[in-house]
Amino acid sequence: MPELRRTDLRVVTCLASADALDRLVAPGHGARALRLAPDESAFVTAPETAPEVRREVADRVAALEDDAVVRDVGDGWAAWRLTGADARDALAWVSALPPPPPGAWIQGDVARVGAKVLGEDDGLTILVPAYWDDHLRTRLIADAGAIEVTP
Amino acid sequence: MSSFDLDGRRIPIEPGDTLAAAAFRSGVRTFTRSIKSHRRRGLYCLTGDCANCLVTVDGVPGERACVTPAHDGMRIRRETGWPSVERDVLSVTDHLHWAMPVGFYYKVFARPRWLWPLAERVIRRATGTGRLPVRGAPAGRARARSARCDVLVIGGGVAGLAAAATAAAARSRVIVVDEGEPGHALPPGGARTIAASLEAEARAAGAEMLTHHTAIGIYEGASVPLVGPDGLVEVEAGRVIVATGALEAHGVFPGNDLPGVWLSRGAVRLATEHGIAPCARAIVLDDGTGDGAAEALRGVGVDVIEVRGTIVSANGGRRLTGVTVDTPEGRRSFACDGLVLSLGLSPRDTLVRMAADDPVTVAGDAATPGCSIEDAVEDGRRAGRGEPVVAREPDPWPGLGSGGFVCPCEDVGVDELEAAWREGWTNSEIVKRYTTATMGPCQGALCSRHLAAFAAAKGAPSAAGGRTTARPPVRAPRLADLVGGVHEVIDRRTALHGRHVAAGARMDRSGVWLRPGTYGDVAAEIRAVRERVGIMDVSTLGRFEVRGPDARALLDEVLTLDVGRVAPGRTRYLLALDEAGYVMDDGLLAALEDGGYLLTTTSGGADRMETWLRDRVDRRGYRAHVLPRTGELGAINVAGPHARELLGALSDDDLSRDAIPYPGHATITVAGVPCRAVSVGFVGELSFELHHPRSRSGDLWDALLEAGRAWDVLPHGLDALDVLRLEKGHIFLGQDTLPDDHPGKLGLGWAVAMDKPAFVGRASLERMVALPLERRLVGLRFDGSPQRGAPLAVDGRIVGRVTSCTVSAALEEGIGLGWIRAVDGAFPPVLASGDLRATVGPTPFYDPEGVRLRA
Repeated sequence: MPELRRTDLRVVTCLASADALDRLVAPGHGARALRLAPDESAFVTAPETAPEVRREVADRVAALEDDAVVRDVGDGWAAWRLTGADARDALAWVSALPPPPPGAWIQGDVARVGAKVLGEDDGLTILVPAYWDDHLRTRLIADAGAIEVTP
Repeated sequence: MSSFDLDGRRIPIEPGDTLAAAAFRSGVRTFTRSIKSHRRRGLYCLTGDCANCLVTVDGVPGERACVTPAHDGMRIRRETGWPSVERDVLSVTDHLHWAMPVGFYYKVFARPRWLWPLAERVIRRATGTGRLPVRGAPAGRARARSARCDVLVIGGGVAGLAAAATAAAARSRVIVVDEGEPGHALPPGGARTIAASLEAEARAAGAEMLTHHTAIGIYEGASVPLVGPDGLVEVEAGRVIVATGALEAHGVFPGNDLPGVWLSRGAVRLATEHGIAPCARAIVLDDGTGDGAAEALRGVGVDVIEVRGTIVSANGGRRLTGVTVDTPEGRRSFACDGLVLSLGLSPRDTLVRMAADDPVTVAGDAATPGCSIEDAVEDGRRAGRGEPVVAREPDPWPGLGSGGFVCPCEDVGVDELEAAWREGWTNSEIVKRYTTATMGPCQGALCSRHLAAFAAAKGAPSAAGGRTTARPPVRAPRLADLVGGVHEVIDRRTALHGRHVAAGARMDRSGVWLRPGTYGDVAAEIRAVRERVGIMDVSTLGRFEVRGPDARALLDEVLTLDVGRVAPGRTRYLLALDEAGYVMDDGLLAALEDGGYLLTTTSGGADRMETWLRDRVDRRGYRAHVLPRTGELGAINVAGPHARELLGALSDDDLSRDAIPYPGHATITVAGVPCRAVSVGFVGELSFELHHPRSRSGDLWDALLEAGRAWDVLPHGLDALDVLRLEKGHIFLGQDTLPDDHPGKLGLGWAVAMDKPAFVGRASLERMVALPLERRLVGLRFDGSPQRGAPLAVDGRIVGRVTSCTVSAALEEGIGLGWIRAVDGAFPPVLASGDLRATVGPTPFYDPEGVRLRA
């Protein structure tokens, strides 16, 4: 049975020209790089490494472009982890998105709201705007089959 | 014993009964009246394919009694006939065929043109099936959800379950959808045992079973909408296996619709599943397939006569009393009350015919009608492995007789097809439209092959004589299912939602957000703001940071104010217009200390503003970045004469008028929470919007309430806000505005810098401001308690309406905003609003000099 639990993640966003983002070297600290748009990249990271990630991104992009914007916008996102062998099947009950393999990600409709789904070794991480936090949790519990919810 | 109510009559229920079985056992023979001729219709297929048994179940019309399980307490209504199905006055129309030839309504009611609306009303009352419950509370939209799978198997029979088990064993994600339970449509005995075994195998391999769900179409993709008890499921499938079985050929001969004429499976099912004799004496027309109908009927005591030959007619009035058959021995007539037809099978292929280029495989009876159980299993296994399944062209259905109903749903007979053809409609698609054959509730299940065969027999070329186009829905869904998920409102919640609910707030839907309407006492909430201090969760406001070398140019193009005149640390009211010069949104622009800008917009306008800004960046190539911060930032408005003192109790920062001027902003820390404090004037008191990290909203809210005890602070909701802003004469966009309002109509011309060379809407505005105003929004004072939406009149002529109003406790009078039109070139100073006198006056009503918000 897949397990659902809230997870604390930060999201550092970087707005810059497509050229600068093409050349931007991704930060370390285990941050996941998501190229959301030609002029926007996001880096998903643990809370404790977020300041370092933000500083690294800001320093690196500043060397490429002087008017780039780098912000920790993690407060705007809610993250839920679906883990276990059946995590991908659980996602299939709330979304037509193919679950990404570990290391990959996809964005689209999950439980009828815009979401980003990150493939992990042990399951999936689903990110939605924080104002849809309750909605996502409710729909996952209602529609995604039998799942164990960890408070 | 459990029972249900059928038209006021108690119908006992045996275990396993469907509505049809229970009713038939209790003697019900007429289930519906036909749509046009009001002929009696009885049970026929018992497989859910025909429309003979549509009933209204607990208020829901169009339910198929033959596949709907009976439950205690159900309320069933037969849908057709007046005053009742059993005694239907309108059955007189069955004797008026001469007056209503095919397509008569196209001809008869064409002239005069006023006749059709009258005729339509009469026809609609006299025909049709169930009635939608249009009174009472409207039905909500069904829920909709998405699902994804590698293989979707439609049909939980032997072939479908074998396909599911095989595909799931190959580690595919498999969903099986069935209208009932897996295996339910199979006859009792060996087939069901095999199905049960396959179901267990499929489940063990991980296949998911969606029971009591119906696939109503196949769209490009393949995308398959399923309708189930909980709403709509939109499935995206890598491939689809259709294993929907076969249906029996519908026989066409005079009297073919009489109650007592059965398709073989229907009669057998009634006998073997429910132990009910469908009749006392049955003629079983044997096509040589040996489907066991005669034995099954004898098993429940029916006197069976097996006959080979061609039916000439079924005879009877209210029900079948005899049959005339051309047998090898000659024409013979038989007295009977049952005629059981075994005329062949054809695939139940409507879904397949919708799937032009989609990855769809057909298996089992749907590919090879009448195949053996072993072949169905093998077909299914092959389909499950993704291998092709060879479909066999079904045997042709028996030809049309000299009469009888080709399309029982729409009462279209052989003679009507002939008449249409004679009139020149020589194409099956056109005959379909002219006669409405295939367009009834069964969607051509019984008649589409007959229609195609008819056209072919007439010599129509294949392109004009084929089967008509299959379109969704293959089964009738509820309207609620069709709109499932359409414009579904998914509430956005602020970080303080739980606190509002815990405090007893009435949560109102405001656009896409859930917001507190009031915490219980609106008047007290207003008094707190006017006399002491109040706080409000305004996290729903749209917020955007705009940065980059072209940020100012971008904003100068999108907003009407002169951005260059907004100094760092100051804020200005903003208006955004569309190209037509109409007001799109309003809010505040704050110039940040480091050269960036922070925009706040209305809660409902945030998404559009983001699109607007990004669109301009892309189209014009501005070097500017738009960073949405709506979801990331919380915001709390602290308002009232003691607002500054309350913040002072929680902050060591300089909160003086010099530090945070009006209108202006500053970065401060309140209760340890970093905030951008923006001085605002919406409610007409000293006010600070505290924009802060969403994750700290709870801490800040709690601290403000705790520290605010010294001033009896109260939280307030939208109801109080509506009064407070109205006393200041501020508009609510949408409530007080219309889609074609330019700033001049709203009295907001002061917010437009017409001396700027260019901004969106400027050219339109230039033209419009040169024209005299025909309509404008005005402040109104009433001599009583006004009503929102009430008309405003002059000399009995309505010239406007009230858009917002209240009885102001602070002003001790009724006030409002409203639209008025010019009368004889001038705006009337006094109007009537019902019995009240409404006097046009200046706004703001409260503190017109703005002394209080600059305190």
